[in-house]
Amino acid sequence: MTAQRLDLRDPSSFPSRRVEAWKYTDVRRLLRDTPPASPEAEVAPGGPFAALGGEELAFVNGRCEGFPGIVAKGRGEAPMRLRFVSTADGAGHQPEAAIEVTAGSRLVLLESHEGRAAGYVANTRLKISVGEGASLTRIVLGEDAADALAFVRAEVTLSPGATFEQVTATDGARLQRFETHVSHPGQGASVRMDGLYALSGERHADLTSVVTHAGLDGQTSQLVKGVVRDTARGVFQGKIVVERGADGTDARMAHNALILSERGEVDAKPELIIYADDVQCAHGNTVGTLDESALFYMQQRGLPAEEARALLTQAFLFEVVDRIEHDGAREGVREWLTARL
Amino acid sequence: MAAVKETVDAVVELERYKYGFTSDVDTEFAPKGLNADIVRFISEKKGEPQWMLEWRLAAYERWLAMEEPTWASVRYEPVDYQDLHYYAAPKQKEGPKSLDEVDPELLEVYRKLGIPLKEQEVLAGVQGAPKVAVDAVFDSVSVVTTFKAELAKAGVIFMPISEALREHPELVRQYLGTVVPVSDNYFAALNSAVFSDGSFVYVPPGVRCPMELSTYFRINASQTGQFERTLIIADKGSYVSYLEGCTAPMRDENQLHAAVVELVALDDAEIKYSTVQNWYPGDAEGRGGIYNFVTKRADCRGDRSKVSWTQVETGSAVTWKYPSCLLKGEESSGEFYSIAITNGRQQADTGTKMVHLGKNSKSRIIAKAVSAGRSDSTYRGLVSVHPKATGVRNFTQCDSLLIGKECGSHTIPYIEARNGSAQLEHEATTTRLSEDQLFYAQQRGLSEEEAVALLVNGFVRDVLQELPMEFAVEAQKLVAISLEGSVG
Repeated sequence: MTAQRLDLRDPSSFPSRRVEAWKYTDVRRLLRDTPPASPEAEVAPGGPFAALGGEELAFVNGRCEGFPGIVAKGRGEAPMRLRFVSTADGAGHQPEAAIEVTAGSRLVLLESHEGRAAGYVANTRLKISVGEGASLTRIVLGEDAADALAFVRAEVTLSPGATFEQVTATDGARLQRFETHVSHPGQGASVRMDGLYALSGERHADLTSVVTHAGLDGQTSQLVKGVVRDTARGVFQGKIVVERGADGTDARMAHNALILSERGEVDAKPELIIYADDVQCAHGNTVGTLDESALFYMQQRGLPAEEARALLTQAFLFEVVDRIEHDGAREGVREWLTARL
Repeated sequence: MAAVKETVDAVVELERYKYGFTSDVDTEFAPKGLNADIVRFISEKKGEPQWMLEWRLAAYERWLAMEEPTWASVRYEPVDYQDLHYYAAPKQKEGPKSLDEVDPELLEVYRKLGIPLKEQEVLAGVQGAPKVAVDAVFDSVSVVTTFKAELAKAGVIFMPISEALREHPELVRQYLGTVVPVSDNYFAALNSAVFSDGSFVYVPPGVRCPMELSTYFRINASQTGQFERTLIIADKGSYVSYLEGCTAPMRDENQLHAAVVELVALDDAEIKYSTVQNWYPGDAEGRGGIYNFVTKRADCRGDRSKVSWTQVETGSAVTWKYPSCLLKGEESSGEFYSIAITNGRQQADTGTKMVHLGKNSKSRIIAKAVSAGRSDSTYRGLVSVHPKATGVRNFTQCDSLLIGKECGSHTIPYIEARNGSAQLEHEATTTRLSEDQLFYAQQRGLSEEEAVALLVNGFVRDVLQELPMEFAVEAQKLVAISLEGSVG
């Protein structure tokens, strides 16, 4: 079922909730036909990570002039900023990019999905490969418009000894999905794949991931946290597959969500599909609301209720932010999130 | 040498599926295949009222329009629905007036199964031993129900559903199909069209059922499907505990078992439903065995009502089963305790659904899966909270244990929360049997198999404790037997 790939040119590929992998993100309900193609446009350099410097590559309405694909070599400290900007109202585009981190290299990729228009449809597809002993940190910010439909699908192939760290932070869209598929060869490769969502209004965000362990001694750790307000809807689908022979796999996954309104919704489906016996796999999944006794405690000590609530929510989500190793990226995401709480 | 011989014998004994015998009971069959005439035949055999026949025919029409579901993580040879007998009954001249008139071959079957049908046998047993009323279903019909008189004194109705349709049609009509609608799913529709027997229980308001109720299901005839239907109604403030056991002969054909169980709990009522499912699992190469496609659902309609499902699933070639609770009443509560053990080439896709509709409803799920051999086990569960259900609480724990390199174990829990005041927790782990613990137990003189049985029993203990006493002992043995040959 995960084989179904959304292609804006082919309306028969628009999944409805009857497709199990899209059960909670029903594209067909909102999109039936191929949207008109987005026109060419330009944007000034910048974006949410501008302060961190480094090289910038911008896809505007799906196009990036003379884009050859990214090939990262060496262990430079400067990050690369990859921007996907939508500027045309009601139009659609489908950018594709390939990123290769060659053996032994290191890349910090700061990716942003920026909405500067209303009601657009963006379907971004990335192919990423991380070579032997190489390391990729991918920080993804979702800044889509409230009425946009935005889908991002990344296929990540790791080589033995590779390190892949990913954090996705988003405030949702009308319908938004970040999907990551990782092929994990084990043999010293390790994956950390975190995410956070802070949603309000009628926004929807879906973090979906599939990590397939095919070799010995692979490690995966995943922490996804989210907060929903108003009538927003958060979706988490995380699947860890351990194939036959992938012994020594150690995989942990946790998803924790807070619903801070009466009509907010959270749907979660963590999956463990395991065909090897010498493994340690676990997942935890909680949905709840703020701890009343903690709120009470803080108010007793003089904090107004609103402030106490904000502080607890922030502390809850910052756990994900704190796990980002790259200093600049971590503080950038923290700032971005603070502005949204 | 004697000790060696004893060990060999013990192993041979254990490897055998104990209930795999067939018995030569003279049986009456309906012709093979399924059509409206067969449905009419079954209904007529049972002397059913017209509305029941119409209900069945409507179900049959719905079934024709439905497709067999394929979403479960199980693979099996498709069932040829036209190559089955939908009705098989031990031949009897007249309905038996007492146990003495029941075919001795039949009684022999139940004796072999270790089920005391004769009330005096039970009474002659140890003083103060708990009484259990038994309904025995053989292929398509119920052959005997014990302790009816004593139950009637308390006002409890416990009888085959075919009899209830004649004696208490108003009760059956009021509740049948209200928990699992005819068109709920493919197998439920099939069952609604062709079910031939099963148990009916009604516990009147305020009554605590004076003994455990129990049904033993036995598939005996070959090329026969079993489609039983159970309906249990616990009226206001009542309590009942119901046990269910299943066995079938060893055959190299696959036999279909598609049951529907409906439970209704009104205000302050409680139903405890326990199953030890030991259908024939097929041989080590996956030949034969029962396809167990069952729909079980409880409707906690009343405020403060409670339903608790406990299941020990060790048999069947393929299991597809999700005992669920619709928690409609305020402060209603649902529990699901499950042990699923698969070995050989067995496949099990089982779990539960807790649908929270009532305010302050609670649920608790403890599922333990053990996979060995080349088997596959999946826990699939749903906890959903509807927008109006405030104060909902759920706790779910799923643990899987893998024994051997060729089995699979999968955990697929769904959470759908649409209310901010809900508190839902789920945790799952998958590991193999600890080498350290095995080594420790063996060092202290246990054989490898004994050590495995001991550790697995420890692993599933939380669930075993939920079983009524009579079943707990049996289940514990079953756990050990099911895993025979899984190590070394």
